[in-house]
Amino acid sequence: MINWFYFASPATFYRLAGWMAPWFFAAAAILAVAGLYVGFAVAPTDAQQGEVYRVIFIHVPASWMSMFIYFVMACYGGVSLTFNTRLAAMMARALAPTGAMFTFVALWTGSFWGRPTWGTYWVWDARITSELVLLFLYFGFIALANAFEDPRRGDRASALLALIGVVNLPIIYFSVLWWNTLHQGSTVSFKGTSMHVAMLWGMLLMALSFWMYSVGASLTRVRAIILERERRTHWARELQFT
Amino acid sequence: MSATAIAAASVPATGSFATGFAWALRRDLTLAWRHPGETILVVAFFVLVASLFPLGIGAEPQLLARIGPGVIWVCALLAAFLSLPSLLAGDYADGSLEQMTLSPHPMSGWICGKVAAHWVASGLPLTMLAPLIGLQYGLSPDTLLALCAALAIGTPVLSLLGAACTALTLGARGGGMLLALLALPLFVPILVFGAGAAEAQATGLSPSPHLSILGAGLILAAVGLPPAICTAIRIALD
Amino acid sequence: MSDHLFYLAMSYAAAAIAVAAEIVGLWLRRARALRGIEEERDLEAQD
Repeated sequence: MINWFYFASPATFYRLAGWMAPWFFAAAAILAVAGLYVGFAVAPTDAQQGEVYRVIFIHVPASWMSMFIYFVMACYGGVSLTFNTRLAAMMARALAPTGAMFTFVALWTGSFWGRPTWGTYWVWDARITSELVLLFLYFGFIALANAFEDPRRGDRASALLALIGVVNLPIIYFSVLWWNTLHQGSTVSFKGTSMHVAMLWGMLLMALSFWMYSVGASLTRVRAIILERERRTHWARELQFT
Repeated sequence: MSATAIAAASVPATGSFATGFAWALRRDLTLAWRHPGETILVVAFFVLVASLFPLGIGAEPQLLARIGPGVIWVCALLAAFLSLPSLLAGDYADGSLEQMTLSPHPMSGWICGKVAAHWVASGLPLTMLAPLIGLQYGLSPDTLLALCAALAIGTPVLSLLGAACTALTLGARGGGMLLALLALPLFVPILVFGAGAAEAQATGLSPSPHLSILGAGLILAAVGLPPAICTAIRIALD
Repeated sequence: MSDHLFYLAMSYAAAAIAVAAEIVGLWLRRARALRGIEEERDLEAQD
């Protein structure tokens, strides 16, 4: 019989994550090279914006990741609360800094894209504001997780906070639909896109690259977290480091 | 005998949501009535901060009327935020919270009662005082009505969200700042729609879309947050 | 147009710096965790 929970133990998952992470980083690098090639060498100059539109190959994938990572983090939080597991909570903690990083990159690149195109570095547009709120949600998650002596209490509290904050994601997603403001509406959907095909492919390749990178980074981080939390265990002390 | 002991003596073996709600509501309202300092502080803070803006920005009537809804909402939000610790901290510190979790009444019942009492002691005075502040800012009667309606719907949501954040940070390091980092981002949608309702009315549009969304938010919060608050308190007490 | 390259460059540079900072952070965190394990080993050896 398959033991579906074999890797649910920090000890076994540590090794699994150890050999998985480099592959994800490698995939991220390859996809990034491909995406940037398509984005800069294949995709044509935009009729209205010139070359500066190429920020899209960072900005949109980073925004997608910022929301996706929060969603996954909240899922891990839900799993950790429902099943009272440690590893799911550690994965949630591992995802948070990467998510915050992508949120920051999305806001920064958006700001530097807005200056030449809209004339301003910042505007209190619905989507931009809710993305900023998302950044604070990430900070709140990290702060709350580390605010207690007992790390398990931090795990549970931050997991619950992540679940409460999930309501912000639909607000970000639908904000361009609900408010008629400066930020462009969605041009990419499951039904098709009005975007030039090379631009679309550049964006998708970069998005996949960021995704692979996120997995690699969080697997690496969770390994460090496992070592921190499990340092008193027998298996941790038996580890051989080169 | 303390309020808890008196109430505990009259508790039946099987509990109900309504009984727990009524008990907690009566208890916390009694406590708030006996110690009105908290409510007075909330109201005083609201009035003070709302008075700071014209002093700082200049008392030009058109400008004040333009920023009025937003400023009043921000002041109400901050005042509501400041009143949050009193919701659970006192009970947590002297152990009554732990005693209350042993109640046969469902936890969500008396939690809702506490939050309702907190709203009556903080959100309701803010809502009732807002028209006076609005007059200071020179808002029209229609705008004042929309503002009050938005506050009436929005402040309970603030109380619920605030209660969840307070429960999460019970006994945490970082105290007030941590609570601010958690609560204020969650308050933002309420602020946006609440101030938006009043501003819509001020510019001649209908405030009902904003008020509808606020109402939906209230229903969602009233249904979804009490279980979360209960979980958070259980996490805190373990 | 060269003006616009400034914004492009700032965006990509910020993204690159953010990723680099994260990777450095990961490396530092792992180093700190390993030091913690070394300490635990030493503490155990003392017993």
